[in-house]
Amino acid sequence: MSLDISFIGILIGSIMASSVPLILAASGELITERSGVLNLGVEGMMIIGAISGFALMVITDNLFIAIVGSMLSGVIISLIFGFLTQSLLTNHVATGLALTIFGIGLSAMLGKNFVGIPGKEFPILFSSLKESIPFFGPILFGHSIVLYFAFALPFLTNYFLKKTKLGLVVRAVGDSPVSASNQGINVILVRYCCILYGGAMCGLAGAYLSLIYTPQWIENMTAGRGWIALALVVFATWSPIKVLIGALIFGGITILQLHMQAIGFRIPVQFLSALPYLMTIIVLVVISRDSRKIKLNTPTSLGRIFYKEK
Amino acid sequence: MATDLRISNISKIYPGCIANDNVSLQFKSGKIYALLGENGAGKSTLVKILSGVVSPDNGEVFLNEKNLKLSSPLDAKKNKIGMVFQHFNLFETLSVFENLSIDATEDNESLRVRVNEILKKYNFSIDLDVPVLNLSAGQKQKVEIIRCLLRSPKVLIMDEPTSVLTEQETEELFISLKKFCDEGILIIYITHKLKEVLSLCDEVAVMRKGKVVSVSQTQNERVETLANKMVGQKLAKIKKKINISKNKDEIFKVKHLNFYSDDPFETNLVNLNFSVKKGECLGIAGISGNGQNELFQILSGEIITPDTSIIFRNKEIAKLNPKQRREYLMAFSPEDRISQAAVPELKIYENVALNNFKSSNFFEKGLVNEKKIKEHSKKILSDFSVNTDNVELKSQFLSGGNLQKLILGRELITAPELLICYNPTWGLDVGAINYIHETLIKINNQEKSTILISTDTEELLKLSDRIAVIYKGKLSKIMPSEEVTPEKLGVLMGGGSID
Repeated sequence: MSLDISFIGILIGSIMASSVPLILAASGELITERSGVLNLGVEGMMIIGAISGFALMVITDNLFIAIVGSMLSGVIISLIFGFLTQSLLTNHVATGLALTIFGIGLSAMLGKNFVGIPGKEFPILFSSLKESIPFFGPILFGHSIVLYFAFALPFLTNYFLKKTKLGLVVRAVGDSPVSASNQGINVILVRYCCILYGGAMCGLAGAYLSLIYTPQWIENMTAGRGWIALALVVFATWSPIKVLIGALIFGGITILQLHMQAIGFRIPVQFLSALPYLMTIIVLVVISRDSRKIKLNTPTSLGRIFYKEK
Repeated sequence: MATDLRISNISKIYPGCIANDNVSLQFKSGKIYALLGENGAGKSTLVKILSGVVSPDNGEVFLNEKNLKLSSPLDAKKNKIGMVFQHFNLFETLSVFENLSIDATEDNESLRVRVNEILKKYNFSIDLDVPVLNLSAGQKQKVEIIRCLLRSPKVLIMDEPTSVLTEQETEELFISLKKFCDEGILIIYITHKLKEVLSLCDEVAVMRKGKVVSVSQTQNERVETLANKMVGQKLAKIKKKINISKNKDEIFKVKHLNFYSDDPFETNLVNLNFSVKKGECLGIAGISGNGQNELFQILSGEIITPDTSIIFRNKEIAKLNPKQRREYLMAFSPEDRISQAAVPELKIYENVALNNFKSSNFFEKGLVNEKKIKEHSKKILSDFSVNTDNVELKSQFLSGGNLQKLILGRELITAPELLICYNPTWGLDVGAINYIHETLIKINNQEKSTILISTDTEELLKLSDRIAVIYKGKLSKIMPSEEVTPEKLGVLMGGGSID
């Protein structure tokens, strides 16, 4: 019996690890969307983050530089998006889609020489505690610093939006950019900052994949996680805590269904593979039924181009 | 300290229109100034310049002889110019307190103390912790005013503040404004309502086509003199002959109309019952947001509600969609001309074709009969004196008044038995309003019926034979309009009861 319990602990630990990129990317995108900007380029920014992080690790042999560099690359690529949508007033949806396509192509090109190079081991924290405590050990300890950051992020985001002045400004801009502008808030600047922050988090999410989760570079290794993160934000009705729940459910069922496939359940594989998507949507729809709350959380100006009168 | 605000030679030119043409005005504290003019006269542009939202092409603004560089709303704030916009600049999903705290420099505790002081001083009662979308228009305006007062303004500009208020709320507003004025705040009051100018303001400047055409003491003016200055020509007075005949047939009858919605932006409707007789105009008064949108959508068939009975010309039509209802000779003119009644990106004739009747043969075997539609559109343009004869023009280039004429023309050319319109003259200038009122009266004279849902009390009293008031989704009793006064309507619209 004790074997079962420790197995479950390890399972939960691995579920947590698999949901980290989703939490990071979705929390970043959540801030972007709360300011009224719809950036569909999450997948593209993640994959750019993944290749930049990996390439920097190989070149400099320094994981810290790799992590910071991946975030910077996310910032740079989201700056393109920001410049197009905020300064040149292009359509958010089209620009975001272009960003994803661009990111996937660019990362494949940059990554040509990095295929097959083994990754470096990423330091994990409290590894002794992981072994010594049954069940809770593998859940609470022995993870990378990025994982701890990711699990704190939704709560920090929630605090930022609800309790701080800047969070209030972000929500105000997302609610009504015209009113915000008339109140003397620099709408364009706020939106730029939110876009760049979203880019940094997506970059980090990508680096987590290529440096920590599966330390290597594989072309198109984000495999649609950016799109899942985007969907999480919407289905979680722009609530950071619900994003965390959604990401855990998605990660959890992805891992569980793999185990089910391995055990040989008599359920078609296709159905099992579809299960994470299905369950995440169902659970998030059920926990966010309150239409009043949805109205209050939804950034009213989402995806609309803001034009400042001159 | 006395405040002296001087505007000197302000000009602002937009492509194809001179919004402000060399405007110079002077204001001193201790008085309430009116800025009067029709829509498009340039008042709003001037106000936007004063509040730093737009910058002028030419000219200067002086406050106490200091030249102000107003290049952003922040500059106006810094110089203690406060502004309450016609379309509220509030964040609907944030709470009242969050709305107030967003540009405050102090911490939340001391801000709350100051807000409560203001609430007490001016007798405002507002719950600070509810989202703004739950407030009435009058309360929202108070939030805007409090936001200005928190910055102890020298100048307070009110842009068409009463367009969304009841009579009572208007009176309360006037009392507050007079108090502010006594405390030394310079008040500039922008409006196109003549009576308000006479009852509230000390001095009035009239604008027409971007220019200031007159500045005078209000005590020397009357409604007629101001109206003529504003329009630039003499207006014919129209008055409807009220015809309530008890023995006429009921053409339209609504029973047990209920509507329930989870959406906090929508209003529930509770057991509405009413009927319309042949040749009659039934007016439905109320402040916007009390269920008029929902009522209009149910009457037009956009929303189908269960258990409601709507009898039109002896047929049950409650389950029919808008197109089917049109086939039974109903016609609709929604409030929002741009997004509900017409598609702005489409050409005039294409918009006409949207109202697709079987009998009009606009479409044959699935193809568009362009020639027929264009002929038909030309007829509408000339019959309803729309200010163009080019049916290829995109509808977005029509002014509000001309677009409304086009829409009414489109709806009426099929000779409907019942026209339902919602705020048909909203945002139009006096000339266009007159034309539309005449048209609506003509319909009744031809023994056709109308339902007029409107937030404009004056319009309702002018056009309706019977009037009811909608408040929070409930309908008052229906009264013959000769028994109704603006005061009575005001009480009912604010949720009070008469008799």
